[in-house]
Amino acid sequence: MEKKSGVIVVNGLPIVQAQFNWSVGFQMQNFLKALANKKFLASKCPECAYVYAPPRNTCSKCYKKMEEKDLVELSGKGMLAGWTTAYVELDGKGNFVDLKKPKLIAAVKLEGANSTLFMPLEDIDSKKLKVGMAVAIEWSPETKGGWKDIKYLRAV
Amino acid sequence: MFRNCAIIGCGQTKHTSRRRDVSVAELAQQAVQAALDDAGITMKDVGCVVSGNMQGFGGVAQPEQWLGDWIGCPGKPAIRIATGGTTGGSVGQGACYTVASGMYDVSIGVAWEKHSDSKEAGATTGLMHVGMGNLFHALTYGLSLRNLIATSAVGAAAGVAVYQAMFYMHRSGCKQEHLDMVAAKARRNAAKNQYAHLQWPNCRPEDIAKTETIAWPFRYGHVCPASDGASCIVVAEEKTAKRLCKQPAWFLGLASYSDEENQLQSENFGGVGVIDPSEQMGCRVSAKKAYAMAGITDPQKEIDLAEIYQPFPSQELIFSERLGLFDDGTAWRHMEKGETDINGRLPISVSGGVNATNAIGSSALQRILEAALQIQGKAGEHQVPKKVRKAVAHGWGGVTNYITCTVLGDSPR
Amino acid sequence: MAYLKDERPETMMVEGDWQVGAYRWKAPRLLEEFSAGLKEKKIIGSMCMGCGKVITQPRHLCGRCHRRMDERCVLSDWGTITCFVISPKVEKGKYKLFGMDPVDTGTLKLGEILIPVFVRFDGADSNINCLLLNAKPEEVSIGMRVKVVWAKEPKGQMADLEGVEPIREK
Repeated sequence: MEKKSGVIVVNGLPIVQAQFNWSVGFQMQNFLKALANKKFLASKCPECAYVYAPPRNTCSKCYKKMEEKDLVELSGKGMLAGWTTAYVELDGKGNFVDLKKPKLIAAVKLEGANSTLFMPLEDIDSKKLKVGMAVAIEWSPETKGGWKDIKYLRAV
Repeated sequence: MFRNCAIIGCGQTKHTSRRRDVSVAELAQQAVQAALDDAGITMKDVGCVVSGNMQGFGGVAQPEQWLGDWIGCPGKPAIRIATGGTTGGSVGQGACYTVASGMYDVSIGVAWEKHSDSKEAGATTGLMHVGMGNLFHALTYGLSLRNLIATSAVGAAAGVAVYQAMFYMHRSGCKQEHLDMVAAKARRNAAKNQYAHLQWPNCRPEDIAKTETIAWPFRYGHVCPASDGASCIVVAEEKTAKRLCKQPAWFLGLASYSDEENQLQSENFGGVGVIDPSEQMGCRVSAKKAYAMAGITDPQKEIDLAEIYQPFPSQELIFSERLGLFDDGTAWRHMEKGETDINGRLPISVSGGVNATNAIGSSALQRILEAALQIQGKAGEHQVPKKVRKAVAHGWGGVTNYITCTVLGDSPR
Repeated sequence: MAYLKDERPETMMVEGDWQVGAYRWKAPRLLEEFSAGLKEKKIIGSMCMGCGKVITQPRHLCGRCHRRMDERCVLSDWGTITCFVISPKVEKGKYKLFGMDPVDTGTLKLGEILIPVFVRFDGADSNINCLLLNAKPEEVSIGMRVKVVWAKEPKGQMADLEGVEPIREK
């Protein structure tokens, strides 16, 4: 009997998916619903005053619990803390896709928040990007209460 | 060197099939807060966080990185342990190791599972991502689809447990009615446990016998649920434990023996060198090692209570024998006589066990937690009437080959 | 009396999926050897020269003593049933795979009873999981002697081993 050595490659079929629907909890639900009214909510810790955007129910600095009463509304304006340019994307099935137009991704410190967020950056001259420049959220014309209500960050 | 340590606080969430009122991070955090409150300490007093779950089931890869903030990791070492079904048991033992080693005075062990985040029924998602590589490999070599569906979906509808039960029943004379009795006992006991999932007050074997057969001998009424829930224990070294807690649950013996793969096919579809999945050599060896460490020479006499990992009723019988609590092939006779009831001679899984509550990542930790509650006298309505001096908590999982065995007691080693 | 109910509020859900098939796994060529053996109506096992265990389908390493299982041997066509399970009558909607119902595709017949068995072929220290054919559920017992049912024209694939059937005295 011939003993074979080496390996073979076994390809999985891309048709098999495991599907999920993750519960968001009350604080996140408050946040998502407020987006319908073009409001960006954050949570302010009643103990140490650290502001998380988006909000959460536990402060990770002092472990204090937070509820609906600890929600604060942010102006939607902020400061560009950093950015990068993406030239490829993943298609979710294990393949790289070249982007026809490179995408800008910003790290933004929203006014009133202590934490930083990442959002797409558009409607901006990429040659004029500077850390510290003023940016603001551009809302979708129709807002339904979900992440898609935020279109992108733009220059102010 | 192992320095003495004990469980001084226990916390659990209510387990249900859909905890959609919280995100998985918030769920784990509830258990941690409950444990800290029970121990009378705050997050500042905790030196190390040991966590774990089976990530495929809830669809969050590396969840300890997200949940870290919610379970108190900032500023502390965060250790994740994942050992299949025994994850919770390994988390409990891991929390013990971090304190017993002398590295930390207080640690927490937290484990959780949120099955409802998956759209597939039961625990299908987790099993899907585990078996895919093997499945595609065999299909590449022309495995017949009919054989595949018949043996994996039909024949092992409840996993390898159904074959394991058949081996046990053939060897010992146990009948299907005995499985009905064990399942009814689990649901009856769970009705007395405020955190359990399948609570059926006064459930009788006849009620279980009315449910539909999945694959003989298992009925729907025998199978464990897929629960959402979390549990957490606080472990402290001796001086701290004695200062903070009236009756700590001391770690007397720990062992974990991993056997070779025991289940149907091994990786790359090879065979497994174990003919009888109810043999569970890993459990025999773990138990012997844990008892030796605890100074127990006659478990049948010295163990007052056992919390056994039994997603299926046959496993309560099989593992109680493998843990040395009953002679081979006789567990079903002792159960029939009522010896394993809440007020029996050797109560087993009085919390309802995994058969009534199964948030997979957390289930094995709950066995340690429930044994600790019984020693502390804090189990509430499902507290056993006799004094519990020594208890054994067992965990089982992996590809039917991982075992954790933990012996707890009412006084230090 | 029945199960106690627990009603809770439900918060919003975010959807997503995980392409569990989007991988390119690497596997050793052991199933290739096994399938090649099936074409010649031979069941091949790997043998450990340390403890003497024979495993089929073949493996690289002995599970308990960790030696390489490089030796090969041919097992008997005859074996013993070590375990069996009897399915209820096949219904639609119970056994879906990749979103397809095997009753719809004709892979399984409506109302049929399937008998998956563990078979220990003579010489092996492992079970092979397959179907018991040409037998009634009432006949099956642990310890029953069976022999392989080969495909009419083996092609060198796993399906060449169709199942096992009882050895009946003539």
